[in-house]
Amino acid sequence: MSVHGLHIRKCSFVILGAILMAFAGTSFYNSRHLREPVVLSPGVTQVKKLSDYFPGIKGTINDSNIYILEGTEPGGTILILGGSHPEEPASRLTTWILAENAAVEQGRLLVVPSANRSATTVTRLGGAYPPDFTIPTPWGGQKFRMGDRWSNPLDQWPDPEVYIHYPSRQELAYVDIRNLNRTWPGRANGTLTEKTCYAMTQLIQKENVDIVIDLHEAELQYPVISTIVAHQKGEDLAALVSMMISGSEGFDIGMEYSPKALHGLSHREIGDHTQAISLLLEAPEPFLDATRGRTDRALLLEGKDEFVLRAGKHGLLFEKMDEDGWPIDIRVGRHCSTIIYILELWSEENPEKAVVARKIPRYAEVKEKGVGFFLRDPTKEDPKNVYFE
Amino acid sequence: MKRIHPLSGVFLSFLIFASASFSFSIEQTELPKTDLPVLITSCGQSPGPVRLKAIFKKLDLEYEPKAYDVVEFLTAKDLKIYKDVGTPFKTLIIVMGASLKGMGAAGISIEDEIDRVSELMKEARQHGMTIIGAHIGGMKRRAQGATVGDNTDELSIDAVAPKSDLLVVIKEGNADGRFTIISQDKGIPMIEAEKLLDLIPEFEKLFKK
Ligand SMILES: [Zn+2]
Repeated sequence: MSVHGLHIRKCSFVILGAILMAFAGTSFYNSRHLREPVVLSPGVTQVKKLSDYFPGIKGTINDSNIYILEGTEPGGTILILGGSHPEEPASRLTTWILAENAAVEQGRLLVVPSANRSATTVTRLGGAYPPDFTIPTPWGGQKFRMGDRWSNPLDQWPDPEVYIHYPSRQELAYVDIRNLNRTWPGRANGTLTEKTCYAMTQLIQKENVDIVIDLHEAELQYPVISTIVAHQKGEDLAALVSMMISGSEGFDIGMEYSPKALHGLSHREIGDHTQAISLLLEAPEPFLDATRGRTDRALLLEGKDEFVLRAGKHGLLFEKMDEDGWPIDIRVGRHCSTIIYILELWSEENPEKAVVARKIPRYAEVKEKGVGFFLRDPTKEDPKNVYFE
Repeated sequence: MKRIHPLSGVFLSFLIFASASFSFSIEQTELPKTDLPVLITSCGQSPGPVRLKAIFKKLDLEYEPKAYDVVEFLTAKDLKIYKDVGTPFKTLIIVMGASLKGMGAAGISIEDEIDRVSELMKEARQHGMTIIGAHIGGMKRRAQGATVGDNTDELSIDAVAPKSDLLVVIKEGNADGRFTIISQDKGIPMIEAEKLLDLIPEFEKLFKK
């Protein structure tokens, strides 16, 4: 080949690469900068920032919003974390419903929709995940970032060869140094993800939080599913909630102990390192199953997949799977009802630390009306009542 | 108006009598005595005992000093100590089914658990305690609901169920009739409830006398 021909070939590859980069880059840029509105519920009395509790997080992408709903009567404080793993959308959507609808009569509800905001700005690298999804609403629809399980490498890079968890010194998977549910209780001079957990630990201590509820979703091939994972301080509460829900709410939720020797998880470390009880809720999300078929928005929101269905027929799943799948409304509804029961049963047992909230829809209502029914139109609101995640 | 055969009344009353005495006999001869106080443990370190505690709490049992207690790693030695200090327990409930391995680091083997519980059951027999084998975790605490090849749940059932005086099970965990077969084979009475909440009235009958 002549030198001239080689030049032409090299140039055309460079141009082709640049075109692909422009398309991918635009998609990445757009998804990282998609603004997700939160219309404040009249029950929100204050919006704080994570950096109010730990200045070390100020100016970073993880300086998340904390929506505070305070009742007129004093009581306890319950913190609800959404988006520890943003690729589990029922988690964030539940916090949206709370921040946009709930009203608190006694005690306080603290709501964080983007516990790991960095992880909401990226999807599984090389996984061809959809960058975003839209929840249909009576006024059109609201678009959300899809997100990933791990913080965006743009914000925290490179990963170490080995990840030694602080302070237990347990060796965990290297990539989990960007996994917010492996970096509790956090470290002030650590990585972004560790600092984020540290900031939330500070928040839990300074606000004297009684219970932390960390919302998640799990693949059906993972045994910890449709369950409450409870720190031993919360085992009685979790047992009671599981029993009462399974008898009356139209769905079943189990309970599991938080393993004492497994570190970095919210249900272990928050309970160990702060005064709070820590509970983690898992809903079923077929999108996360390794044997899934097409990984698209429909699977994310409808939870129907023929291959996961087939895995179920071979007895490989830990949760039921049928043609109806696991729609997002069911998954969010489960979280809503479980939160309602935790609040009610906790308040019954601890009247001086009660957290009494209204206007949180129950499972049956979310299932019937859909998640979008509880999302409010930001264009119809006074801009000062609209925040962005 | 149709005439009723004079004998039909006799026959009907015989039927009523027969069925009444039949259910009477089940109640009387089949259910073992279940007295307070109750000790609750597991064979496999599942959260089952804490879930039973939630049920007992709802019963509002009046018993001094304590109607029930949960001891995760209850041993035969503990039973002796309870007796020596003058607080003998009358009923022992052992929850079958293992803790989840999926979360790793359970930190205990099923063999250790079976050893502990076998000794415990032997000791309980010596104290004349009634032993209730309970399975309340549904399929999640059966091999069918565990990782392929994980039979720890079944080992725990084998260790406890056939040697119990009474079986208490939630329907879902008995979908394949495993407990029904043990109950029939060994002549052990069994109480089967649809949901965990349905155990409240059942336990009321057993313990709130
Ligand atoms: Zn998760």
